[in-house]
Amino acid sequence: MKQTLIAAAVAFAFTGAAQPQPGPIKIGVVTPLTGTYAGIGQQVKWGIDLAIKEINDKGGILGRKVEALYEDEEANPTVAVQKAEKLFQVSKVDFLTGTVNSGSTLAVSQVAERNQRLAATTVSFSDAITGAQCSPNMFRVNARAGMQSAALVEWMVKEKPNPTVFYLGPDYEMGRSTVSAFKSAAEKRGAKSVGEVFAPLDNKDYSPFFGQIRSAKPQVLYTSVAGNDTVRFMSQLVEYGLTKNLQIVGAAGTVTAQNLGAMGNAAEGYVTGAAYTPELDSPANKAFVSAFKAAWKTEPDLYGVDSYGVVYFYKAAAEKAKTTDTDKVRAAARGLDWDTPQGKKHMRAGDHQAVQDMYAVKVTSGKFKIVAKVPGTAAVGPDTCDKF
Amino acid sequence: MTDLAEALQFVYGPQVLNGLAIGVAVILMALGLTIIFGLLDVINMAHGECYALGAYLAVSLVAAGVNFWLCLLLVPVIAAAVGYFAERLLIQRVFHSRDRHVLTLLLTFGIAIIAEDVFKLIYGPNPHKVESPIQGASELLGIMLPNYRLFLIGAGTAIIVAVWLVVYRTSFGAMVRAAAFDKHMAASLGVPVQRVCATTFAFGVALAALSGVLLAPVYSVFPTMGKDFILLAFSVVIVGGMGSIKGAVLAGLVLTQIQSISSLYVSPVWSDPLVFGIMVLFLMVRPEGLAGRLGHG
Repeated sequence: MKQTLIAAAVAFAFTGAAQPQPGPIKIGVVTPLTGTYAGIGQQVKWGIDLAIKEINDKGGILGRKVEALYEDEEANPTVAVQKAEKLFQVSKVDFLTGTVNSGSTLAVSQVAERNQRLAATTVSFSDAITGAQCSPNMFRVNARAGMQSAALVEWMVKEKPNPTVFYLGPDYEMGRSTVSAFKSAAEKRGAKSVGEVFAPLDNKDYSPFFGQIRSAKPQVLYTSVAGNDTVRFMSQLVEYGLTKNLQIVGAAGTVTAQNLGAMGNAAEGYVTGAAYTPELDSPANKAFVSAFKAAWKTEPDLYGVDSYGVVYFYKAAAEKAKTTDTDKVRAAARGLDWDTPQGKKHMRAGDHQAVQDMYAVKVTSGKFKIVAKVPGTAAVGPDTCDKF
Repeated sequence: MTDLAEALQFVYGPQVLNGLAIGVAVILMALGLTIIFGLLDVINMAHGECYALGAYLAVSLVAAGVNFWLCLLLVPVIAAAVGYFAERLLIQRVFHSRDRHVLTLLLTFGIAIIAEDVFKLIYGPNPHKVESPIQGASELLGIMLPNYRLFLIGAGTAIIVAVWLVVYRTSFGAMVRAAAFDKHMAASLGVPVQRVCATTFAFGVALAALSGVLLAPVYSVFPTMGKDFILLAFSVVIVGGMGSIKGAVLAGLVLTQIQSISSLYVSPVWSDPLVFGIMVLFLMVRPEGLAGRLGHG
């Protein structure tokens, strides 16, 4: 019995070796399909499914069809590790993507290392993923947190040289880290900080802080409050007549399609740093937006476009390497240039961070319009990865 | 000396006036709560959702083309009807049980949870906004204050005075106070206690809904908004004395001023602990609060 099993295993191994590329190329996608982040996971899935359909219609990658296998990450690193392990071990996927939570992405890096496969994130912002905790098996095709504030700072110092800036963030990890990141980037470019306030999450009335803002007389107000807090904060600023001669800038999640409607005119003129907006005026983006709308009846957001782009990233790397072998694809991916709806992106060899153009976008008549473009090389910042 | 004058005008002045606008809002919430508690001996855990109900009714009515000022009249009437039937159909069922306190607490808490989900189902999780009917800001003694907040302070004060008049100067108010003092004695003297109870509950709900309409343009409308004021309103009721109108007004003003002025010196995170600390002190040292109960003072 034992011998037949070994024989079968040997035979299986040989047939595997004799036919090195059987069946389709499998892309594993571990992404939140339920829970708070389900909306992001939905965009990830739409982007990937659209790219795979386009690629398969044109003959696939290296002559092989592409297939996506989905698992629910539940935005939980522990779950993400189990699902990634399952996709690598049982489903034998060639490539893994989709993680949203930065903790999940960091954990999945190690799973990919153990399984000697490659993975990429299209959503996670944490600078550590391609910085202090970089991995030879993990790539990031989206912009990291630092690139958003870099783009915003570039625009700000051009608009108002040596500005005085006031900061208001929600009082928890995200609020404090976004404010300190923007503050250090702005101060390096000549901005003068004139005060900061951290308001509790779900704060109902911001008017007690307006005295401080008024007496600090800032030219620019940076904020990273989110959701309904933004609605209140912005409306109350307008109510108190504080928005005159004051430019309000903020984090990418502060003003979104979800809360823009409730703010009406109060958000008009707000500027943020972004990696993408469907308003981007290029033939490639227009084609992508109309294909996306035709397929899913809604506009893509930055998660959708980056997840669409990651499939083309893998295609370009595999075709350059002429194989799906991990080491060869990794070598090909380093320094790779590939086309996306956002324009040409460059995968930096030193830390596996994609270099891409960034934009300052301004709320104009209820839509995000591009007011400045910051070249990727200026926004990406230094390579701080020393693991490979 | 000029420093002090400037500090008074530009630092403390705006804080005090802002605190006053917030204080009026909190008192409006606390009044309904304290009247319902004083008369019915029921702690209405769904009071915040009554406030949300008022705000959402205003969103719907304004969307249907109703004038904001008309909403101020219509919404309390609708909410009062809802409150009346909620009292007759739900609260009366457990009111006469021996575990009245626990049962009514659980019942109103359940209503609160259901109401929040119903708001989410009907209006979605994203915030709505009611456009402020009074735009612009005025200068008062050199302090900029939005006109709508000035209106809020005025209207709120008028409502508080009206409530006081109703409770202390009308025959309905006399029946309410009599029933609060001794239900059986009041009933034997011909006071229709059941109807008075239901009407008072409806009155409290209408007050909460009215504050919902008044505050919707300032604080925006979303499913969990009921949680916003409710903790502060509970502290006001406890510090002021459960069931006392005078106490609620006094405690509402003092607590919001403490919050407002302290936010100049301490991190905003500490303003809630400060208020709850005062509440705990009162519970330990003077559990009857600043003033006595309804019908007793």
